[in-house]
Amino acid sequence: MNRYIPFVSEILDIIKHTEIEYTFRMAYDGEVSPGQFFEVSIPKFGEAPISVSGIGPGYIDLTIRKVGKVTNEIFEHYIGQNLKLRGPYGNGFYLEEFQNKELFIIAGGTGLSPVKGVVDYFAQNPDQAKSIKLIVGFRGPDDILFKKDMESWAKTVDVTLTLDNDPTGQYKTGFVTQYIPNLEFKNKDEVATIVVGPPMMMKFAIGELLKLGLKEEQIWMSYERRMCCGLGKCGHCRINDEYVCLSGPVYNYVDAKNLVD
Amino acid sequence: MGFILNMEQMDTFLDSLKEKYLIFAPKRFINGGNFSDTDCIRYDLINTADEIEFDEKSKYSFKEAIMPISQTLFYFTESITTTPEMSNKKILIFLRNCDLHAVDSLDKIYLVNGFPDHYYKKLRNATEFVVMGCDKPFENCFCVSMDTNKSEDYSLSIDKDIDKYKITSKEDSFTKVFQDMKVEESDVKPKFVLSNDITVNIPTDLDNTVSKSKMWDEYDTRCIACGRCNFVCPTCTCFTMQDIFYSENGKVGERRRIWASCMVDGYTNIAGGHQFRVNKGQRMRFKIMHKVLNFRKTFGKNMCVGCGRCDDSCPEYISFSNAINKLDSAMKEVATHE
Amino acid sequence: MDINTKKLKKNAFRVTKVRGITAARIRVPGGFLNSKYLPAIQAIADQYGDGTIHLTTRQGFELMGIPFKDIPQVNKMLQDIIDGLGINQEEHDQGYPASGTRNISACIGNRVCPFGCYNTTRFAKRLEKAVFPNDLHFKICLTGCPNDCAKARMNDFGIIGMTIPQFEANRCVSCGACVKACTKKSVGALKPVNYRPQKNHDKCIGCGECINACPTMAWTRSQKKYYKLTLLGRTGKKNPRLGEDFIKWADEESIVKIILNTYDYVKEFIDLTSPGGKEHIGYIVDRTGFQVYKEWALKDVHLPAEAVVYSPVYWSGLHFN
Repeated sequence: MNRYIPFVSEILDIIKHTEIEYTFRMAYDGEVSPGQFFEVSIPKFGEAPISVSGIGPGYIDLTIRKVGKVTNEIFEHYIGQNLKLRGPYGNGFYLEEFQNKELFIIAGGTGLSPVKGVVDYFAQNPDQAKSIKLIVGFRGPDDILFKKDMESWAKTVDVTLTLDNDPTGQYKTGFVTQYIPNLEFKNKDEVATIVVGPPMMMKFAIGELLKLGLKEEQIWMSYERRMCCGLGKCGHCRINDEYVCLSGPVYNYVDAKNLVD
Repeated sequence: MGFILNMEQMDTFLDSLKEKYLIFAPKRFINGGNFSDTDCIRYDLINTADEIEFDEKSKYSFKEAIMPISQTLFYFTESITTTPEMSNKKILIFLRNCDLHAVDSLDKIYLVNGFPDHYYKKLRNATEFVVMGCDKPFENCFCVSMDTNKSEDYSLSIDKDIDKYKITSKEDSFTKVFQDMKVEESDVKPKFVLSNDITVNIPTDLDNTVSKSKMWDEYDTRCIACGRCNFVCPTCTCFTMQDIFYSENGKVGERRRIWASCMVDGYTNIAGGHQFRVNKGQRMRFKIMHKVLNFRKTFGKNMCVGCGRCDDSCPEYISFSNAINKLDSAMKEVATHE
Repeated sequence: MDINTKKLKKNAFRVTKVRGITAARIRVPGGFLNSKYLPAIQAIADQYGDGTIHLTTRQGFELMGIPFKDIPQVNKMLQDIIDGLGINQEEHDQGYPASGTRNISACIGNRVCPFGCYNTTRFAKRLEKAVFPNDLHFKICLTGCPNDCAKARMNDFGIIGMTIPQFEANRCVSCGACVKACTKKSVGALKPVNYRPQKNHDKCIGCGECINACPTMAWTRSQKKYYKLTLLGRTGKKNPRLGEDFIKWADEESIVKIILNTYDYVKEFIDLTSPGGKEHIGYIVDRTGFQVYKEWALKDVHLPAEAVVYSPVYWSGLHFN
């Protein structure tokens, strides 16, 4: 089987978050878990790895930031047109790991995308977790993603939205890391945490979580690396002996802490 | 079974294969080197035995025969993708003992890590190997240290002895050709080296904490990130995919993959411009640790086969083997800091 | 003392500021010689000169402080050097038969230098054989590549090595090294198109930086060697100027022929009334016009198809008169 050949998928809907960040709802029937990714392509322009930001019947959501040749071209597409996909690739978040846990999710910027499926799931099935808290940070008011989702999550999820800078004065400000020391756990042993975001943010957030006395195995994270083939061949995403596209992008911190880029 | 062929018989043998096989061997490209009036020895299809370069190490390895530098994955139009037709011919590759061990390293990535690679598998399955013996080690070789100075998994072995070719065959179809040609049978022992001028020592306690050592810092300024060490390496497998279109307005194009190098700028760039391993010393560490540790952690054998081509071709005279030999003290250095 | 200074000068000796004292010039084509000739040079300097040696600006030796009377002995001692360096000679033991056509200088070239596009020594020796002992005032200089370390453009004939880069697209890995090298170190004749370099041949100066930079031998050198011939650069009091491009992508054969043709041209048009009967070629061409020179220079020259001839050629430089 030639796994380099993409399949065609129709754009079912486009949700605009910011000027440069849209969610493309793509037709897809198949098993997929939050945190996995697809290689999205437009022939002539190339491929880009995009993590799954939502899963529903007959579709997957791909939240795409317009930052390069391929994604620029994707943004030129409309509902009803097609994109080409390969995937899903990698290991996503296993929901079982978080069931019946006090779940804390700390996300920075587009880092919310790969973990959004987890939030969606527990927001819709609040009885499956002991509690859910989301701390999410963006740069400024114009950078906020998934605004509508956050409004609907608020019924069942404790959402803290914080911005690096807020000239409007409507939002909380500060980095996500500064909200971590005040987290309260009912039973520390039943806590599970997910940290996703830029490398520096993840590093400091994990440091704060460990200071609270959490064990390394209670921390999960997702790595953004250059996933080019998605098949464990091209080498670009490798760290130590891990091909992030195969064994990641989601890792438990026990494994991730030893990864040296 | 051993045979001794003269030049003419060797050519007759090669001729008999041409219908079924593409024959790749190291060949001297006269004036084909980077510098004026220098030659380059690299792989190409050969017609006659005297084209095979026995006396010098090839600058580039055999790998381009089964892992083309640039390989079209498929052609596309607006709606259709078509994969390129691949030759149905078998492939016969002349290579050294160390190189045959390198084939195993390539196989691990392309056939074992994740799903088998469609394109590699097709070429690889069609390939048979002729091992060219080494009667002396070349400069920068350290095959004995890497335990790759001898190999078994070949169809033919060949040693050139002035104007004679001494061959052993493990492949019945080839043996039959020799017998039909009534060439001289003889008790031939394939040549291999038992020692190199260079030996390397991979510390038994080596782990990735060595990345914190100061040993990598000197390469920040010495290395120019040209990637030659990767491109000449018989075990480097990385590639990058590209989409190209044949004309500005055309709807027709192709997706291809080309060799990539973890030493060259841009290798780790992700959308938005962030890159990992900006310093060349850390790229050196990433490469070396893959070759002598991280690959082994997954596949149980070292990736590096000690051919020394990286050292042969480094324009800045950086020695890979010498870097390996610094790992022991580097491990002690990081141990004392922890 | 009765000395024919015209003959003395033609014999490669100098009339110095000290009466009765000369200096001997030794031709070293391409600035290349076997070290075994150094003892003979030392011996002349010690026995007949003042024991010092000047390395000339054109890569020869000048042995100073030699009395006029010792010229015959010096010429005898020069014989081994003249023979060893393959200098054309008219009469044995009589030293150099001419001096007007200056020593042919050259950079070290591709025998040593990674940038060199040809063997400058070999070509210098070939030219020496072809032009010497012509006594007309010609300066010829060879340089391995467009870096022009030899300052070929300050000579009547500057020969600059070139190669036509050959590109094998299927060996290209899009590393960008060639484009970067060409942009930063050369003329920017390469730009990336569809991830691969596209060459502007008109802009390319044939320096080979792309080839040296290429890690996969996607770029290689042309089997044939090419040269740029620059014309009529000069120093001097009136109008010092750099030589201008005459032919790009020329071959060795044509260059030899053009230089020999120029001797015919100069013999035809030289102003014999000029001081010492000497006139730089450039001033003659200034007088006859470039078109006349070009006709003479290219007579029976068969340039390769790749060659580009620039015509007319205009010079600039500094004007003091």
